[in-house]
Amino acid sequence: MTAVVERAVERREGFDARVLGVEVAEGLRAILREPTALFFAVLMPVLFFALFAGIFGGYTSPSGLPAAATMLATYGTFTVATVMMVNPGVTVADDRTRGWLRVKKVSGTPIAVSVAAKVIAALPYALLSLLAISAVSLLVAGPVLDVGTWLRLVGVLLLGGLPFALLSLAVGFVASSNATVAILNAILFPMSIASGLWIPPEMLPGVVQAIAPVLPTFHLAQLALGQLTGAGGLGHLVALLVSTVVAAALAGLAYRNLRV
Amino acid sequence: MDARVLQIEGVRHRYGALTAVDGVDLRVAPGECVALLGPNGAGKTTLIGLATGLLAAQEGRVRVCGGDPRSAATRRHLGVVQQTMGFPTTLTVAELVRGAAVRAGRPAAAAGPVLAEVGITDLARRRSAKLSGGQRQRVALAMALVGDPDLLLLDEPTAGLDVAARRTFWQVLARRRDAGVGILLTTHILEEAASTADRVVVLHRGRVVAEDSPGGLSARLADRTLTARSGVDVVVLRGLPGVLTAVRDGERVRVTSAEPERVLRAWLPLDDALGELRVEGAGLEQALFALTDDRSERDDETMGVPA
Repeated sequence: MTAVVERAVERREGFDARVLGVEVAEGLRAILREPTALFFAVLMPVLFFALFAGIFGGYTSPSGLPAAATMLATYGTFTVATVMMVNPGVTVADDRTRGWLRVKKVSGTPIAVSVAAKVIAALPYALLSLLAISAVSLLVAGPVLDVGTWLRLVGVLLLGGLPFALLSLAVGFVASSNATVAILNAILFPMSIASGLWIPPEMLPGVVQAIAPVLPTFHLAQLALGQLTGAGGLGHLVALLVSTVVAAALAGLAYRNLRV
Repeated sequence: MDARVLQIEGVRHRYGALTAVDGVDLRVAPGECVALLGPNGAGKTTLIGLATGLLAAQEGRVRVCGGDPRSAATRRHLGVVQQTMGFPTTLTVAELVRGAAVRAGRPAAAAGPVLAEVGITDLARRRSAKLSGGQRQRVALAMALVGDPDLLLLDEPTAGLDVAARRTFWQVLARRRDAGVGILLTTHILEEAASTADRVVVLHRGRVVAEDSPGGLSARLADRTLTARSGVDVVVLRGLPGVLTAVRDGERVRVTSAEPERVLRAWLPLDDALGELRVEGAGLEQALFALTDDRSERDDETMGVPA
């Protein structure tokens, strides 16, 4: 056998923030270089908003606010929910089926860091979508919100995207990439309609209105609307927190059964 | 650091009713290259999976550099090339290797020298989607090396490589081994295992059936190979006393036998022009075949499994 040489390798041990940085950078590059996955997630909500804001944006909503302003809250909820539900789950499923998640696991990257990076990497795209619908709103109805209110609205919507990202991960941990897209869309669209994100809840059938209070999209939309009207949103915040805990439990359960 | 970079003790692993690894003991020292050989389904990949920590040993104990390979901290001491490694198609080779460096706790700048070492600097800016199978294997090796690991676990690492790339690959491995890195690899290219490995471990049906140096393993077989230029039909040769196999390769004939003198006594009178005769010991391939083939027949009888 060959003579052994003493090896002294300098290696960072413990949590290394650079690993999170690499993971986020890879996630951002993936979206930037292959944007087809997010094409519909970003473009469709914006087109929907442009269509409906073009028709109803000039009206006044029952709360007395311009319809374009309330639509920023409801379509903003739809926009954020779409990006946060589609991107993290699909990319995790893709990494898993490709074998990349296994490569990362063997490399010592904590999977929790890897999935956290996927959620973080989706946030700029959610923000981009919100900026796009805000620009459309400005074009259609002029300035309907002051800057402070708009910033609060964007902040609430982005933070409120967490339960959707967790639900997305729960599906992505167990289903294939294609199945993940199908399952998440099958959850997202009925949930969005029933929560009154596309058309006002008052215009929906009674049975659908009865379902809405159990949906996180409904509570996020109400919290977002509360930023415009100043209405208290504690109940909606609690409901959203409960949704986050449930989604986190589902993601945790799926993660425990994760096969890489 | 532990005196052994890999220590596997009494490990068993089952997939349902199938026992993939059955009471295996295996050690790899720093600066030692161990080749894990055996037929398909022998348990090689399962053993590599246990060493990487991707699989948890159901019985027994696995230690890498003294630590549990399932912990992220221990895994940073590992460099792994797996049989199937999928890369994100959106990343370039340089990004993949830089990322691997950071994940192993090393500076991203460590990627440059490793790309050069493996001979893929020219591929640095290429997206992984545009790599050939052989190029992907070289990227996988670069990713395994860039963390400056104490133990390299390589599962069929030369699959898909052309001759030149394989030569570079073994040169790189030899340098790392000389620098004190322990290596455990599986391969089907036995000549390469024989030339590079310090020790060969033969697995069959999840058990270690032999463990020796490549030369020592070959020497265990009493069989000899007789190679000669001869015009005698191989069918005739196969009928001679003591002949186990006879194969023609152009003008040459290769005969295996446990009694070479007896074979020669019968062969020489048949061919006045017989020339360029060589008698050699069995190669590693024959040794491996004999070890696993004999064993399987014995096992089949013991277990009552139809052949």
